[in-house]
Amino acid sequence: MGDMSTQAGLKSLNNFLADKSYIEGFSASQADVAVFEAIPVSPPSNLCHLLRWYNHAKSFYPQRSNLPVSKSQYVIPNHTQNIPNPTQNNLGCSNDEDDDLDLFGSDDEDEEAEKIKQQRLAEYAARKAKKPALIAKSSILLDVKPWDDETDMVKMEECVRSVEMEGLLWGQSKLVPVGYGIKKLQIGCVVEDDKVGTDMLEEAITAFEDYVQSVDVAAFNKI
Amino acid sequence: MALRELSSLEKYLGLKKPNKYTTQGDRKVPVLQNNNGPPLVGLVTVACHLVKESKRPELLGDGAEGRAVVQQWLEYRVTKLDGSSKEETRAILKELNSYLEDKVYFAGHQITLADIFMYHGTHSLMVDLSVQEREQFVNVTRWFDHVQHVRGLRHHLTPVAVLRNRIYTSRHH
Repeated sequence: MGDMSTQAGLKSLNNFLADKSYIEGFSASQADVAVFEAIPVSPPSNLCHLLRWYNHAKSFYPQRSNLPVSKSQYVIPNHTQNIPNPTQNNLGCSNDEDDDLDLFGSDDEDEEAEKIKQQRLAEYAARKAKKPALIAKSSILLDVKPWDDETDMVKMEECVRSVEMEGLLWGQSKLVPVGYGIKKLQIGCVVEDDKVGTDMLEEAITAFEDYVQSVDVAAFNKI
Repeated sequence: MALRELSSLEKYLGLKKPNKYTTQGDRKVPVLQNNNGPPLVGLVTVACHLVKESKRPELLGDGAEGRAVVQQWLEYRVTKLDGSSKEETRAILKELNSYLEDKVYFAGHQITLADIFMYHGTHSLMVDLSVQEREQFVNVTRWFDHVQHVRGLRHHLTPVAVLRNRIYTSRHH
């Protein structure tokens, strides 16, 4: 809580209340009660906004137990923390005073907005840090040829798909007739370039000697 | 214009059945034909009737003095504010600004019909004010922003954005 016993504290509160009927929002709340109780005596008439608010708060103070709780942990604007230029004159009220309108006064909404902004920036930075660097990937279409037309293509596909490597993701497959009743297995995959190479794949697949006669790269596309 | 205002007032008061109004004369003074009794003529007359009908007497002021102040501002709205010229606007705003310096509402510590009427009456003025002028008439702006946020009050009138502008450090008078 800001210091309500200092002139500076009251002045900054006066400035805060220039465009507000209540401490928080557009209706009386516990925030008004809290601030009212923090002010020892009725403010001087030169702090006209504060005086206006004070007299109004006094009018509903008896019903304070019915007032809603304040939404935020209300911090009274303190002249040292909120006003960027403390030498600027505050909002004077009498027409005799040669005052400038102090519009650099604390603005609670701005503080909150700033807090939210910092929070969001932190979250974004965290997300960015977790996000992996751009990985080079390729989409490869393989032609896997069996020995003959009696080769169990289903089993062959199973074998091919059983090949597991880090950075390898098997995709769709189809059987393409090549003649004489023989079908080749055309299967696609997506690989991370620095982890999986086509020769590795070919080697792994041709290891299934019982089913696989040869492997060819039908298509190779960088993603 | 007056009919929309009355309709808005009915909504604020929570009156279930909207009334049927007519107007008379070139100035389109609103008229409410009551089932029993003579017709009620005039914005203020009809509005006060609606307030009584909705059993919200506090909207007409608290105590004799409070009620007098409310009536004063209702009359101000209809006689001085409505139909005022551009030149008169400035003087009016100055007067309102100094009046509202130490007041949250026009009459007493609660909203009254005076605030509602003055809100409707000053809306067109406020819309046309520059940001600098809104800072200049800071009390009017404060009061206006407050009233337009009162729940159930603003219906057909556009909200006027009130932002404290940090650029203007003009002297205010």
